[in-house]
Amino acid sequence: MAIEIEPEKAQGPSGPVHAAPGNSKPWWARPAVHTGLIGAVIGYIIGHWLGNLISPATAGVSSFSTGLSDVRNWPLVLGYVFGTIGWLAGLGVFNDLGRLMLGKPLPDAEHAPAGGVAKYFRYTLDHKVVGIQYLFGMTTYFLTGGLFAMAIRTELLSPTYHVLNASQYLMVVGEHSTMMMMMMSSVVLGPFGQFFAPLMIGSKRMAFPRIEALAFWLTPAAYVILLSGILLGGFPTGWTGYEPLATQAGPGMDTYALAFGLMGISLILAGFNLIVTYINYRAPGMRWSRLPMFVWSMFTVSFLQVLSVPVLVAGLYMMLMDRTAQTAFFTNQLGGSSYLWEDVFWFFGHPEVYILALPGFGVVSEIIPVFTRKPLFGYRVAAAGMIGVSLLSFFVWQHHLFDSGINPDMRPLFMLTTELISIPTGFIYLVAAGTFWKAKITFSVPMLFAIAMYFNFLIGGVSGVFLSDVPADVTEHGSFFVMAHFHYTIMGGLIFAFMAGIYYWLPKMLGVKMNEKLGKWHFWTMFITFNSTFLPLFALGMMGMPRRVFEYQRNLQTLNDWVSISSYLLGVSLLIFLINLIMSTLVWRVKESGNPWRSRGLEWQVSSPPPPENFERVPVVLSHPYLYGVKDAPPVADLNPPVGVVASAYASAGLEA
Amino acid sequence: MSEATATPPAGLNADMEEAGFYHECALNGSWTASRLAMGGLSFLFGSFLFAYFYLRSLNSGGRWEGSGYHAPSMIMGTVMMLMVLISAGINYAAVQRIKAGHKKAWQIGGVIALLLGLATISMQIFELLNLPFYPASSGFASVFVGFYPVFIIVVLSAMIWLETLLARSRFIPGIAFVEQPPTYEEAFVVQRFQASVSGFTAIWNYLAVIAILFWFLFYVI
Repeated sequence: MAIEIEPEKAQGPSGPVHAAPGNSKPWWARPAVHTGLIGAVIGYIIGHWLGNLISPATAGVSSFSTGLSDVRNWPLVLGYVFGTIGWLAGLGVFNDLGRLMLGKPLPDAEHAPAGGVAKYFRYTLDHKVVGIQYLFGMTTYFLTGGLFAMAIRTELLSPTYHVLNASQYLMVVGEHSTMMMMMMSSVVLGPFGQFFAPLMIGSKRMAFPRIEALAFWLTPAAYVILLSGILLGGFPTGWTGYEPLATQAGPGMDTYALAFGLMGISLILAGFNLIVTYINYRAPGMRWSRLPMFVWSMFTVSFLQVLSVPVLVAGLYMMLMDRTAQTAFFTNQLGGSSYLWEDVFWFFGHPEVYILALPGFGVVSEIIPVFTRKPLFGYRVAAAGMIGVSLLSFFVWQHHLFDSGINPDMRPLFMLTTELISIPTGFIYLVAAGTFWKAKITFSVPMLFAIAMYFNFLIGGVSGVFLSDVPADVTEHGSFFVMAHFHYTIMGGLIFAFMAGIYYWLPKMLGVKMNEKLGKWHFWTMFITFNSTFLPLFALGMMGMPRRVFEYQRNLQTLNDWVSISSYLLGVSLLIFLINLIMSTLVWRVKESGNPWRSRGLEWQVSSPPPPENFERVPVVLSHPYLYGVKDAPPVADLNPPVGVVASAYASAGLEA
Repeated sequence: MSEATATPPAGLNADMEEAGFYHECALNGSWTASRLAMGGLSFLFGSFLFAYFYLRSLNSGGRWEGSGYHAPSMIMGTVMMLMVLISAGINYAAVQRIKAGHKKAWQIGGVIALLLGLATISMQIFELLNLPFYPASSGFASVFVGFYPVFIIVVLSAMIWLETLLARSRFIPGIAFVEQPPTYEEAFVVQRFQASVSGFTAIWNYLAVIAILFWFLFYVI
């Protein structure tokens, strides 16, 4: 929690500049993934030993607390906790903290030349490197979660013939859903949010680069811990971790709580850093009214993360305490309540839905003015819509409990708040419609994905309004209808926006352009197979197909088979994307150093990939980023302002030389 | 753009200008970060507050406190709460001294605040290991056993922060707190340090309020 402002270049220019540590050492002696792994193993062994030491001490507690879980996974839980600390220590995360505790100055590691590909495997402080680490990290998450989805669909090919047994099926569902939810929370905020946060606001740096890098390096640990749950029998609860099932479940449940908790901490840290950066590191002239929509989306989402995710972390911690220290937060007969989990979880869980939705809208709002060559219609309305959605998202969580036996008098209130949230969401659609109106649209790959995002999210959103009605929700709760709804909003919305973002921003991030032809193949196959996979799920849900059940009525087989085959084809489509990504970035490498989309975005005003310091000088922002097609529109920024202009922005603080 | 017509101060060059700009960003960032951290922590502690009132009002199975309930030691709880309170008070008073240019006085106050914080942590661990109830004996016991480890971790993080400030202060000449240092690099170091001390003080005062709140919940009502 120690908040430390980095001694940055401002410590110079004539003052001492401390070299990055250990640059003279051979690669194997410098902190990187391999030392992290060694640290993780050592940490796990220590934690496991400590857990075994503690376990007998809690045995008496267990005998007292009849009705609680028999599982006392101190060795496992402490093994993972210490393993994660060891992983971070091995990566060198705590080195600078140690220096600070000794009163030593910090090295200028942020701007130190890290060299080649190796920097992607290190605790690197450059936000651009962290963004690319996130890009490949989250893609790995996504593809792994996708393989679990394939396994689910394979099992559902037949109502009676089984590839997986019941518990294996639940395990696969749990792994798929949790991994996807963890990934989706970071899939835009990580790669694009971290990479473009300073570039879009005209800054050379993040507020807390160490916190930013830490946020990323927690995600591989969460990934490994979650996957290790398979070896422990998985967990039967899905991503919602409902009590009392979670307390009764085997040791795989601990991996759910630990992995999700680590990802939660990562989200809090990433959001924290972004908020401080956006508020304080904007270039002169970058007023709130000139902020790109993507930055607005990241800003609002970051607030949701900093405020709602601590509640999730607290809930997961309570779950772990119930399973190790034998507390009884969620055990009704011992003074706890399983409803407590549902409230805590969904207090996070519903803002989480908008943590997933808003970044997608941010990405496409950035893209559509470029390819319509029109100013973004109703800029202020769009910003207000994002703020409105964020605020309202804290007041709707009980709609997830409509069918759980809550006081029926509470239902109309939460039905109303849920329906209200469609109004600011409608603002965002209004903005898109106004921008598209009478525009000459260029149907490039990013634009195709952006349009598809609006289409898919509309289906997801309208079905969401339908579900917010108590009678409809009570009927469809727990069915495939609900599943179709949220897959349309999350995959149809966020993942399509993520794809739009990759095709749009990859030339900026890596200086190479993705293959357009393969991109179009990817788009059309993904758009068709996505809808072919998820649209029938609405019908299946209406016909009574329940979620999380591996056997179903025979009359539902035809539709299920259709969905399964479509999902395989969707997998093939994603394979096209993967081939395009790998070949374009590693093999073909068609250079793109300029501004291929003729965007006015500040990030496009520098070379691609951006120079190490982002900008040669602190830029001065002169106009709005969306003045497309406006005659005599001023340039977006002066990248080389005369000396004195920037100083005047902070002259009131009396800091002139 | 009025700034576009600004006249550069004599002797100002681009590097100095940029250094000053990011220095100002960092100072403001420190203020924002400490307040934002309080917001996030409020939701973290708020979860336990919610659990407390939820389980208390529900009194599931008549086991909010349960039969044969033994309260935790009022004396110990009060002493720990007072130690956090005194630590925050001493730190606050010491910060007023450093603002007046007395570095040594702040260091002494800081060390006392640090020791009191660490002593609180030790006492809290001792209490958790010697409770008169099992964690699963009641809703109250669960919230109590669940809350304090989290509070200990947050307080420990704050104490590590304070220790880094004390360590850094050793390398800043006392005179720099009294009069403007000769170079702007040195002035920046002092201002950064002061911003960090200010941020820490805000957080530590906030944690003192949290300590009082939960003391009231767990020991008084």
